[in-house]
Amino acid sequence: MLKEANTIRLSLITVVMVFAFQTAQAQTNNGTAGNTADVSKTLKSVADALGMARRTNRAGGGRLPEIDVINRMEIWGDATSTGGSGTAPKTEYHMAFSYNPPAERVEMTRASQDGGGAASQHIIQTVREGYAWNESQPGAGLEPGWGTATPAMSEAKARLLQVWILPYGVVKAAIAAGDKTKISTENEATVITYPLSGQLAGVTVKATLDAKNFVTKVVTQADNPALVIEADYSEYADHGEILSGVNSPGHIVQKQGGRPVLDIRIKNWDSAGPYVVFPVPENVKKAAAQGPSR
Amino acid sequence: MLAGGLCILPTAMALAQEAGRPVMDRSVNVRPKPTGVTPRAPDGHPDLTGLWNGAGDNLGSIPNQLHNDGIAIESQTSSHDVYSGAKIATWPVTERKPIDDTEGERSATLLRRVGSNKPIYRPKYWEMVKELDSNANEEDPSNNCMPAGIPRAGPPPYIGQFPNYFIFIYPGEGGLIATQTMYRMIPADGRKHTPLQDLDGTYTGESVAHWDGDTLVVDSWGFNSSTWFDQLGGDFHSENMHVVERFHRDGNELTWTATVDDPDVLLEPWTTNPRIQLLNPNPKAILQEVLPCSEREFAHAVSKDHH
Repeated sequence: MLKEANTIRLSLITVVMVFAFQTAQAQTNNGTAGNTADVSKTLKSVADALGMARRTNRAGGGRLPEIDVINRMEIWGDATSTGGSGTAPKTEYHMAFSYNPPAERVEMTRASQDGGGAASQHIIQTVREGYAWNESQPGAGLEPGWGTATPAMSEAKARLLQVWILPYGVVKAAIAAGDKTKISTENEATVITYPLSGQLAGVTVKATLDAKNFVTKVVTQADNPALVIEADYSEYADHGEILSGVNSPGHIVQKQGGRPVLDIRIKNWDSAGPYVVFPVPENVKKAAAQGPSR
Repeated sequence: MLAGGLCILPTAMALAQEAGRPVMDRSVNVRPKPTGVTPRAPDGHPDLTGLWNGAGDNLGSIPNQLHNDGIAIESQTSSHDVYSGAKIATWPVTERKPIDDTEGERSATLLRRVGSNKPIYRPKYWEMVKELDSNANEEDPSNNCMPAGIPRAGPPPYIGQFPNYFIFIYPGEGGLIATQTMYRMIPADGRKHTPLQDLDGTYTGESVAHWDGDTLVVDSWGFNSSTWFDQLGGDFHSENMHVVERFHRDGNELTWTATVDDPDVLLEPWTTNPRIQLLNPNPKAILQEVLPCSEREFAHAVSKDHH
C-alpha cells in the first residue's frame, strides 16, 4: 500500500516537474530568451564565476585567450545517501571525474545502520563514456590479483549524467549545444536550458543561476525516469586544499521524484587536474560487446 | 670519447653567432607550417644538425608549455586537446584586466594541467602518483637541481649529427623545472644495447640510435629511478624504464615524441604529446651559457600551490 502511494506521489511529482519544465520552455520559445550573444555572455559569466575561464600573464602567456581549465577533478565529502532500503546512512563520499574523456568514479562508504554491529557498505561505481562497471577497489579488474570489476552497463547513462549536471558540466554542455541553448528568466533568476547530446541525447537540462552567476539548481527532463534528477548547489568557494581560484559548491543536494537521494557536505574539492584515470577493464569491454544495453 | 665529441661542438656552433630569440606571435601557440627544404647528410638521411629553439625555449614560456602539455590554441576563439582532439572552450580577452602574481601562477598551473594525455599506472600506484604530485614542491627531483633526465628534458635544443653518432645538448632551465645542463652522446653505428643488468642506472641512460626511414629513433634504457618522466604530475618510474624517442625533420620543423615503457609501474606504454621545435632562423645564433642551477627553497612555503 505504502509502495503504491509512493508510486502515485512520484508520478504526480514527475508530471508537475515536466509541466513546469515545459512552461519554462514555452517562455523561451515565446521570446523571453536572449539571442546568441546573450547566451554566450551568460555562459561566460558563469565560467568566470566558477573560475573556469582562465588566462595567465606569466612567461609570455599574456596575449593568449582565456581557456576552460576544467578537466579532471576530485571531491571528498561527508554525505547521507539513500541505500537500497530507502534509509539515508552517513556516507564517506569520494568522487573522481573528468570531462575529457567523460568519466567518473564514485566511492561511497556507508556506515552501518545498527549502531556498529553490521559491517559498513563500500561501493565503487565507475563509468567511462558508454562503459559502466562496479569495482571492489579502485582500478579493480585491470590486472590479475587487483580486485574484481563487475559490468554495470545499464547504469552508464545515469552515472554519466552525474558529471554533466555539475556546474562545470553545465557550462561545457551548454556551450556544446550551440544555438539550441536558450536563456530565459524565471522568478527574476536567469535560467539556461539546453539538450544534452551523445549518449545522453534526449535529456534536457534546466540550470538556474543566482545573482553571482553561480549555478544553484539543475533539473533534468527525460523519458527515462533514472535520468530525471534535481540538484541544488550552494556555499560556493574555493574548497581546494591546494587553492586554484576555482569555485565549487560546498553543499550538494540531489533529489529524485522530490526525495533527497544524496546530500554532500564538501570537505575538499581538488580542481587542479589531479591524477585520476579511468581505464576500462577487458571483461567490461567484452560484456559491453555482448550485452544489449550499450 | 666524450671529450672528443664535445671538441667538435665549437666548430659546429661557430656557424651561429648571436643569441637573440625571434619574436613570435604568442596570441596563439600552434606552430606555423614548416618552411624550407630538409637538408640531407652525405649518407642521404635528413640532417638534424642545428639549434632547435626557434620558437623560444622548451619550458620557459607558457605558450610552448601549454602546447607541450596538450593544449593547441589555434585562435582567440578556438583551442583543442592535442591528444583527444576534443574542443576546449576559448574566450577572446577583450578587456585585459591586470592579473596579480598569485592568480597568474595558479592560472598557469591550471592551464598546463588540462590536457588529457596521461600515463596509465598500475592501480596500486595511483595514490602514490597523486601524493607525489600533491607534494611536488618538495618531491619533484628537479627542484633540487638534478638533471631532468629522459624523456622529461624533451627534445634537445641543440643537435649535432655526425656520421656515426649524435650530440644532444640541453641547456639548464629555470622556470618550470630548474635543472642542470645535460648532454648526451649517442652512437648510431649499429651497436646493440649493453644488457640492462650490466648497466649502472644514470639520468640519461644508455642510448643507441638508428634510422627508420627518415625518422631518427633513439632507444634508451639503463636509467636510475631519480627522475620523473613527464613534466607534470609526479610521474615516477623504475630502473627498468625503456624510452624510445623519435625525431622527424620537415624543413625548419623538428617533431619529437617519446614512448615510455615501464611494466614495473605502468599498465601500458605511454607516448608524449608530439613536441614541435623550430630551427632558430638566425644562422649566427648560439647557445648561451646559463646560470648555474639554484636549489629552490621550499622550507618556508606556506601552501602546496603547484609551480
